Amino acid sequence: MTFWLLAGLFIVSSSFTGIILVFLLSGSLPIFTVYGWEFFIGTEWFVGEAYGALPMVYGTIIVTAIALSIAVPLALGTAVITSEVLTQNARYILKSMMELMAGVPGIVYGLLGMVLVAGWVQDLFGLIDGNCLLTAGLLLGIMILPTVMTLSEDAIHAVPNTYREQARALGLHKHEIILYGVLPEAVPGIVGAVLLGMSRAMGETVAVMLVIGSVDKLPTPLYNLFAPAQSIASKLGREAAEAIGVGLHWNALIGLGLILFTMVTTLTWFGERIGWKGRLHRI
Amino acid sequence: MRRVLFFICVACFASGFSPYEVHAKKTFVKLAGSSTVLPIIVRAAEVFSSHNLDIQVMVNPGGSGVAVKSVGHGLVHIGMMSRDILDSEREGFPKAEFETHVIGRDVIACVISSEIRDAGVTTISKENIKKIYLGEVNNWIDVGGPDREIVAIDKEFHRGTRHVFMQYLFGQSKVKTPGTDLVTGSNNEQYTKVSLSDSAIGMLSYAWLDNDVVGVGIRDGDDVFNPTKSSIEDNSYPIVRDLTLITNGSATSAANQFIQFLLSPSGQRLVAEMGYLPIQ
Repeated sequence: MTFWLLAGLFIVSSSFTGIILVFLLSGSLPIFTVYGWEFFIGTEWFVGEAYGALPMVYGTIIVTAIALSIAVPLALGTAVITSEVLTQNARYILKSMMELMAGVPGIVYGLLGMVLVAGWVQDLFGLIDGNCLLTAGLLLGIMILPTVMTLSEDAIHAVPNTYREQARALGLHKHEIILYGVLPEAVPGIVGAVLLGMSRAMGETVAVMLVIGSVDKLPTPLYNLFAPAQSIASKLGREAAEAIGVGLHWNALIGLGLILFTMVTTLTWFGERIGWKGRLHRI
Repeated sequence: MRRVLFFICVACFASGFSPYEVHAKKTFVKLAGSSTVLPIIVRAAEVFSSHNLDIQVMVNPGGSGVAVKSVGHGLVHIGMMSRDILDSEREGFPKAEFETHVIGRDVIACVISSEIRDAGVTTISKENIKKIYLGEVNNWIDVGGPDREIVAIDKEFHRGTRHVFMQYLFGQSKVKTPGTDLVTGSNNEQYTKVSLSDSAIGMLSYAWLDNDVVGVGIRDGDDVFNPTKSSIEDNSYPIVRDLTLITNGSATSAANQFIQFLLSPSGQRLVAEMGYLPIQ
């Protein structure tokens, strides 16, 4: 009885993924039949004439990369200190704060970003306008920091104390215990935390929409982080309501959704593999 | 026992104090569309609801394009438009019979950051505004301003304000604007982005202008069109558009009641109060 109940729940939850995939595939089919590879490598998006996804894909990758390169070191550092150095009370307070921050909706970050971060970036780098890839990446980094931090802290904290005690018995210093005794054990959990943060960064819509500039162009030159751009999620946020239901425009937007879905799935899959390898290697 | 008491309390609270219970049979009027029309509708909905307790008005912004789609799909009763329905949009819904009700008029101003106005730019020629959006003019110095790059702010492709503004500049509404530095959605967003910048140019409904976001005169040949109250009232300002409510076929009675309220003298007073032009 219990088994069937659980099996039923399993089928329901996994079929959601299936339904989404089928919806994305069927919805985007027309754009692939009409535009083919042009859809993936095209750099121009003009409703009714051209649908090229490359600027949006590029924007998503860059923004997520910036976000991760900011959030991961910060989160890991904080997590190690919180778990290994702070007292139980201090840890509790810090964790509650972080978890509270992880629940703040994207629009709040978006407004903060629009009013504060964009201005700071503009002043700091002497730009004509602060709505650009870097601002969006910074904002996303701040956004995913609590998630990555609190989950990787859980992973570090969950490493059994015997590891620490044995490492200490071998005469290792505190930092050596953490580096060689505790962290390798926590790698799968940390990778999971980073992947969750990454998925949120890639899928975040409204916060990015407000600060990225929303221009469907590849930055020139490509590494120019101060150029306004567009991510897949922000593009969908801007245009989905207008295109809803019918027409090639809608198919193109669903196609963008499919690309994002595939990107997140692939990266998560690779990440999980790397995570588990890291752990097995250490053992 | 305690649990039973708790549930009784919850039930009492939910039924007795809920405003929905008092007028159990509320009729809903749903609207979606242009953020230019939105302020009028929100204000009107407040006043209207206080007189008609059995009708609940729900409003969503999104843009004029969204209005047509939502009405066409039957998602809302009334669409808010700040431009005319395009032929291509009518073709998208061959079965729909759109009815339009003009409730007011609006003026679109070309706006600039107050810092640029303070630096001496009070008028820009129509040619130069075109060039700014085409990316051929990139510095305020070329239009008589300070030596500072121009942040050209465009609006989302389907927005009514963009259609009307581009129609005036280029003679057609669907124009590619490679000079664009930022794209915004609602009037709110456009206003905020222009006011936060110190070198921006954009397009905005007259009702949103203030000390931070100022209208600039448009020079066309020998004529100069300033977005001022007087030029709007004597009909000399060229970028004017109707604000319309659209329905699919004839409106439901509640929706019709709401439209009639907007057309009544008290509704028209609200239109003027929000900074738009009433229809007389």
